Amino acid sequence: MIWRFFAGKGVQYALVLLFAATANFALPRMMPGSPLVFLAGEDVGFMTEAQRTQLYQAFGLDQPIYRQYAIYLANLAQGNLGHSFQQGRPVAEIILARLGWTVLLVGGALLLATVIGIAWGTLAAWRRGRPFDIGSLAGAMLLESTPSFWLAMIFIAVLAAGARWFPVFGAMTPGAGLRGTAHILDVAWHLVLPMATLTLITVPTLFLIMRASLLSVLGEQFITSARAKGLTERGVMFRHAMRNALLPVATVFMLNLGYIVSGATVIETVFSYPGIGRLLFEAVLARDYPVLQGAFFIVTVSVIMANIAADLIYPLLDPRVRHAR
Amino acid sequence: MRKLSVSLVLGVLILMLLLAPVGAQSGAVRLALTRDEGWLNPYTYQTGYPGWNIMTLVYDTLYYPDLNNEPIPWLVRTTRVSTDGRTWTLTLRPNLRWHDGRPLTSADVKFTFEYAARVAHSRWTPTTRNLESVEAPDPQTVVFRLKQADAGFRLRTLADVPILPAHIWESVTTVAAARAFRNTVGSGPYRVEEVQDGQFYRLAANPQYFAGPVKVRELVLPIIRDATVSFTALQAGQIDANSRVLTPELVAQFEKTQGITVMRGPGFASTILQFNVEHPLLKDARLRRAIASTINTNLMVRLLMLGYATVGSPGYLHPASPFYAAGLKFEGTKARAVAILNEAGYTDRNGDGIREAPDGAPLQFTLLTLAGNPVRIRGAELIRTWLKDVGIAVNVRVAEDAAIIDQVWPEFDVCRGRRFDMAVFGWSAPVMSRPTALVDLFHSDCRIGAINIGGYKNPALDRLGEQLVTTVDPTRQKQIAAQMQKIVAQDLPIHVLFYPETIMAFRSSTYDRWAFQKGQGYVTKLSFVDPPK
Repeated sequence: MIWRFFAGKGVQYALVLLFAATANFALPRMMPGSPLVFLAGEDVGFMTEAQRTQLYQAFGLDQPIYRQYAIYLANLAQGNLGHSFQQGRPVAEIILARLGWTVLLVGGALLLATVIGIAWGTLAAWRRGRPFDIGSLAGAMLLESTPSFWLAMIFIAVLAAGARWFPVFGAMTPGAGLRGTAHILDVAWHLVLPMATLTLITVPTLFLIMRASLLSVLGEQFITSARAKGLTERGVMFRHAMRNALLPVATVFMLNLGYIVSGATVIETVFSYPGIGRLLFEAVLARDYPVLQGAFFIVTVSVIMANIAADLIYPLLDPRVRHAR
Repeated sequence: MRKLSVSLVLGVLILMLLLAPVGAQSGAVRLALTRDEGWLNPYTYQTGYPGWNIMTLVYDTLYYPDLNNEPIPWLVRTTRVSTDGRTWTLTLRPNLRWHDGRPLTSADVKFTFEYAARVAHSRWTPTTRNLESVEAPDPQTVVFRLKQADAGFRLRTLADVPILPAHIWESVTTVAAARAFRNTVGSGPYRVEEVQDGQFYRLAANPQYFAGPVKVRELVLPIIRDATVSFTALQAGQIDANSRVLTPELVAQFEKTQGITVMRGPGFASTILQFNVEHPLLKDARLRRAIASTINTNLMVRLLMLGYATVGSPGYLHPASPFYAAGLKFEGTKARAVAILNEAGYTDRNGDGIREAPDGAPLQFTLLTLAGNPVRIRGAELIRTWLKDVGIAVNVRVAEDAAIIDQVWPEFDVCRGRRFDMAVFGWSAPVMSRPTALVDLFHSDCRIGAINIGGYKNPALDRLGEQLVTTVDPTRQKQIAAQMQKIVAQDLPIHVLFYPETIMAFRSSTYDRWAFQKGQGYVTKLSFVDPPK
């Protein structure tokens, strides 16, 4: 069954991948501005035509655009993402160094936000129309509309600079050279504020979905019949309603899973966190085409993988999909 | 659940206890950088400031700019210049060594300049253009033969180009390889110990440094992307110094903060109104003068910089620059602007509130500025308001840096022309301290006036500029520079608005021997080591 699934979807995903790879190639090059200053340095104005040409040749930018595209696709097919204009290093290596931090931050926040969102949404739906529910809705709306950089700045001002409970920036204490447990604790300590910010701005969506989904399930006939059987309210809630209400939340979770590797640009920049989001932001400013291509490609692949995973897992969660097959 | 949260709180507490002493006892100085600087070697560092300054902690130059930006001998002990200024014979100091213990000799110097000529780098390669040859007759002696005498040779070449170890770089032959090369063996006061991509650098003092004891044992350089966060970190004691200049709003607060010292001095970076002198209307110097006259630069300094800036001089150079033409001042008032406009025939003929040129073209311009600089955006808005008052319409357009530069300075090549009317722009501090700054900024040949982004042309200025670049005598240099400034002040191809002061803060409890380089700040080698005797 798995094989049939892949044969059907395989062509579709390959086309998506090719389209994405082409867009990743074309879009950065359509931005006005030149990467030359990042290739050569700030005094680039003083270079002669010949010296500029030497640089363009070194990075393949002297080739006509269709040849650059062909080379890019050929390299990509071999798993070669090229070298960064800005740093000279292989793009794969740069992305790999940042990937761990981003997965830790964004993945952690997504898990945390999902757990909190489910619990909070359930409680609110259970107490529908009561002060807790109304207060929660207002709170979620407020959080939802809070700009992440503002929340991050408040955290930095109050909890890091004011109370001095947490560090102001970074993913670990610079130059401390900690090892083992001390290093893990140091990383955890630096993770608290960025992760709290990201979690807080992600929770409202999950809360709202969970609450709405649970309320609609609670109106179904099978809930009435469960109640009629004399089940306790708690039993109806957890055994019957929640399991069914979780499906939309699972969908959102799966979709978000694919975007974990794209990082959280704003939060990573404000906290100077070394993730993919900040890398992308810096690469856009520097017109670092290879890094942009590479990072967006990784994001594309990861979103496709998340979709495949969702397709495979969904039948396990929802028997109706299973029977429909 | 309760158990988990208790252990979490405990964990955090233990961790805070563990970490607090680490920062305090390390004896290290933490100086924040603005962004990644590659591997900190001459082919991978990124920014002119602070990147170059940090790179020169690891690599040495033959000369080094002192606190007045005058080049002083560094690796070099004696220098002999021929009377025509074309032959420079330098004797290196004895016992110079690379970090790996190998001796640093004149062969390395020769190698460096030949390497720079071969492997393109925007800062090193142009310095080799005027070199006829570099010889190393014996291990201590280097002889530079120049094609023509060069006013900037000491500062822009000898005090700028870091010497590379030949035994390490000779195998790195292409630009791409050099840009990816990670070796950091230099001869400087610091060795690179640790590079954490996107996070920080750790440098350790070189115990065998020839110029004597290095003042700070360990230098940690965290990268903090956000300016506000970097100053918060300084205030919270998580860094000890910051390569960014303090924003005016923070000065008063930092001066009052215990344990923090604020250093202030003239700044050599500039904020200018750049005209496109090739523009059909703006090519008229009278119109440029009228526009400049409407701008109240004194008020701008008070409003935008809270007084922490010097009002611009019309000859570009800062009054604190050794080349400044004394007494040069721009006086302009709104009344004067109106008088100039009326006299030149720029009047509002169709009554729409906007003046027209005699040929009917309305005085309507786009003013570009960079999104990354809030002060310049507010400056552009002020200019728009003031110009509207005298009947000149301005449309302010703000965009991200690379997009603006694409119009003002396409491909960073003045020879490719320009696509703008006016821009609020600026140049960094090193441009000001070069004796040849006025030539770079205003010479009409796009290969010589490499940053003449407005396309300004004046044959009299060109002639003086050609004289200046080959003049070695400082007194004569100053005379020529003064004449050039007077021409520029007359023609106004740019209008210098102000020079922001260089204001820098540090935690004096950790380290207080920072040396303040005029116009540039404390990120200099001289903050960590005294000049060699």
